[in-house]
Amino acid sequence: MKRIVLLLLVAACGGTYQAPPPVASIALPDGSQLKPYDLTKPGKARPQGMAEAAGRVYVTLSNQRDTDTGPVNAGPGFLAAFTPSDGNVTLIDLGGGDGLQCQNPGFVRASADGYLYSPCSGNFSGTDRARAIVEVDPLANVVTRRAAIPNGRVPNGVAVTRTRIWTGDAFTTTVFSIDRTTLAADPTPPVPVDCAKTVFNYVADVMTIGGDVYALCGSNNSGELYRLDPDTGAVKAHVTVGPNPTELAGLDDGRIAVVNAGDSTISLVTPSGGTLTAQKVITLSHADALQDVRAFGHILFTVASSTNTAQRIDLDAQGGPKVVAEANFGLNSGPYNILPLDDTQAIVSNRGTNTIAAANWVTVK
Amino acid sequence: MPPSRVFPRYLLLLAMVAAAAARAQEPGETIEVQGERRQGSPRAPAAAATVVDMAQFGGEVRSVAEMLSTAPGVSIHALGGPGQTATLSLRGATADQSLVLLDGIPLQGPGGGALDLSTLPATILDRMVVSRGVLGAQFGAGALGGVLELLPRSARGSWTGGAEASVGSFGTERLALDAAMPAGNGSALIALQGDRTSGNFEYARQLTPEIAGSPYYGFTRENGDATRGSGLLRISQELSGELGLDLLLQGSAGVRGLPGASSAPTPRSREFDADGVAGVRLRGSSGDATWSVRASGRLDRSELRGVLAFGDCEDGTPDCPRQDQRSSSARAEGELALPAGEANSLRFLLSGGGEWVHGTTGAHRRGLLSAAVRDDVTLAGGFSLHPAVRLDKVGTQNGLSPGITAQWKPAPEHPLSLRAGWGLSYRAPTFTELYLERGGIAANPDLRPERAWSVDAGAEWRLALLTLSATAFWSSYRELILYQLFPPARVKPFNVGKARIAGVELQAVVPLPAHLLATVSYSFLDAVNRADGHKLAYRPPHRLFARLARRGDRLEGYGEASFTSAIPRNAFDTAFVDSQLLLNAGIGVRAAGPLWVDVEAKNLLDKRTYEDLFQYPLPGLSIALIARARL
Repeated sequence: MKRIVLLLLVAACGGTYQAPPPVASIALPDGSQLKPYDLTKPGKARPQGMAEAAGRVYVTLSNQRDTDTGPVNAGPGFLAAFTPSDGNVTLIDLGGGDGLQCQNPGFVRASADGYLYSPCSGNFSGTDRARAIVEVDPLANVVTRRAAIPNGRVPNGVAVTRTRIWTGDAFTTTVFSIDRTTLAADPTPPVPVDCAKTVFNYVADVMTIGGDVYALCGSNNSGELYRLDPDTGAVKAHVTVGPNPTELAGLDDGRIAVVNAGDSTISLVTPSGGTLTAQKVITLSHADALQDVRAFGHILFTVASSTNTAQRIDLDAQGGPKVVAEANFGLNSGPYNILPLDDTQAIVSNRGTNTIAAANWVTVK
Repeated sequence: MPPSRVFPRYLLLLAMVAAAAARAQEPGETIEVQGERRQGSPRAPAAAATVVDMAQFGGEVRSVAEMLSTAPGVSIHALGGPGQTATLSLRGATADQSLVLLDGIPLQGPGGGALDLSTLPATILDRMVVSRGVLGAQFGAGALGGVLELLPRSARGSWTGGAEASVGSFGTERLALDAAMPAGNGSALIALQGDRTSGNFEYARQLTPEIAGSPYYGFTRENGDATRGSGLLRISQELSGELGLDLLLQGSAGVRGLPGASSAPTPRSREFDADGVAGVRLRGSSGDATWSVRASGRLDRSELRGVLAFGDCEDGTPDCPRQDQRSSSARAEGELALPAGEANSLRFLLSGGGEWVHGTTGAHRRGLLSAAVRDDVTLAGGFSLHPAVRLDKVGTQNGLSPGITAQWKPAPEHPLSLRAGWGLSYRAPTFTELYLERGGIAANPDLRPERAWSVDAGAEWRLALLTLSATAFWSSYRELILYQLFPPARVKPFNVGKARIAGVELQAVVPLPAHLLATVSYSFLDAVNRADGHKLAYRPPHRLFARLARRGDRLEGYGEASFTSAIPRNAFDTAFVDSQLLLNAGIGVRAAGPLWVDVEAKNLLDKRTYEDLFQYPLPGLSIALIARARL
């Protein structure tokens, strides 16, 4: 909140906000620091989502170890809090007393009143008790409350309104809400947010933008963005975006950027009255596995996990949106989320190398 | 400075100029020019086919994949560098959709699917026949893109032998020996080949490729070493005037590093593999009828070490188990060919057996049963027809594969021939597709067979060594097995694809003055996903290969160019592998007696920025020195 006030102040004075430069790389806690269930089989941090709150950055640590059959939860989920300019890390254990209250947290988002919410996917079976949405007070860096997830659902994405916590289902194309006061899941049937598919589709993300809740449905060949009533979940509008969309971000002018991993494009969605219109504005033909998009003014920031890169895109560039800078985070870094600190500086969570790294941009000459 | 820099490019150029000058000093030399001497497969008469004769690559260090890539309609998916995995694509079909036969025995990878061509030793082969089209009627289920027949060296009735040794860039070495001899009432042949490479070449890539003109940085590929030994034994015995027995044993074993893609190297991943094929055939004739009975078997084993679903690991640690996969097959078959009247020649085939897998896919088996009949019909006016039909039962999945080819020649010796073909067939899912549950891959035991049909037509002008051919084809695929997103973070195969692949294949083999032989082949592919109209990924729209070679009894040499146009690498026409132009050249002299010494350079332009379809880096300039002798 302080930072938003600061930004508004800077904007009002006609200046450009510049964040303190972040440290080049922050190593995240590892092994025994992450309270492994089996000391002989510790996990890696495997950082994912990032959010800002209380002047710090928070990143989810899924705390997994790699096996020949895929990643396995090695311990409870964590949040790591840090200040980008000094790199000091504070760990917040999301797992509770038995370590099983939250496993594999992916997203983390801040509510307007300053709390953090993170959905925990558990082991993706849809039946384990480590699925939850946890609430964290960033002023105290402690878990304040926990909402259990109904059986058969795996939470994905999180949108916090004044009265409700909305999340999507990683197994189906539905979203459902949790009462923010009682932390009980809404007993009414989930809200369908479907999109075209050949075999499988799911809810890639749910986010609050401009007072509405937006839900993103993705499949390997299509994607659909839904605008929902924040109180009832009623569908107000929807529009087709690109294939396999992974993330969305709100711009300061009300538009919404959606990154489509299937065809490596970005769609800009414009809400107008009761409708949404979408347009693909740029193709990142060398960026594979686009995972995240964030906005700072009219600058978009994206990350591509397979190519270990992040892009800085100027939406107002002459001739149309254009990549004006790109950064590489090294072999096997697997950048997963990006967080702009101002309109030129950004940090990424490297899921592969378990670090938070500052983007060292190569710019267009 | 890498080893490849030891031989500057201009030295090679100088050598080629010297060779051209030396040519004038060899009056009366006997030139043996070897082009395409055979026309297709006897199992698929009048099918579109190209014969790749290994002899034309004497003095060159070539893998099976490299030699195949000279043929029209063929593209190779190689995971970068010598000794690494390479698979075959015919007419835009996947590697699983083409059959590979060694002397008629089907070969497969350890999961029951595509064969890794890098496990095949090139020097034990005599020639390869690439037959294109849906040829299930002629070869069996699975031949949707076509068939590659590997024909090993034949035993001879007299003592002959040869040896070849080469050393080259990236620590690449090869030693090959073969000997043929009389044995009992027949002959025997033994051939051995050993290959080794350190495989650690330099390459360059942009770290920020979205920025036009951003710099390239140099890297050295690591963990690209490979060592392989292979052998072949063939024995042929005449038991009586009309009865003969043939034995074939072929085996190969190797170990290699799995270096990974350029953006995600895997320095700790290794693969060990071993495979063997055995076949014994009894053949005979009775009157106008000929018959054969054969039993054959195949064993494959592959073990992955230090391999994870995403990345690598330290072999021997608790979460890094070795992944062992074994497959085998055995079958018996009988074939009878007999004339039926003046104009017909009938062939009947009956075969049965089974195939088994054990390992990461679990333990599974399925029966194989086939029955086929083909008629070769000679008609008036130079026409011939070759209808065929085959019933294959693969496990519980049955399918009928009909097909017909036709040919017209104005006269038996006339250089012109016109041909056309049609075929319909299916491919049973592989064991990998049905049962492999590992890492990011889910199994689907409910998969149905893929189905395809194709039609093609072509013309050929063949006069002595001159060959000009053109073929156009159109094929349709349905029930394609595609890996689809499946929660959480996995992919699973489903029968959801449908595609149309059309194309043109051109080839010219032209003898030129000064005992030169020019070969040009061109392939055009238009591969479209019929579900959404986008191009199919990983199919090169244009491939052009040109080669000029000279063979003499004192001097030999070649120069060749291979161009591949930009290739779609996603399903939405928004990302491409850049086009590639490779230039290779070699020159050799007969140094003494039967001893030839050659020097060969590949990728003369030293392009270090090329990558394969899956972003594995490809080597820059490499040079090899080859010595060979044949008695």
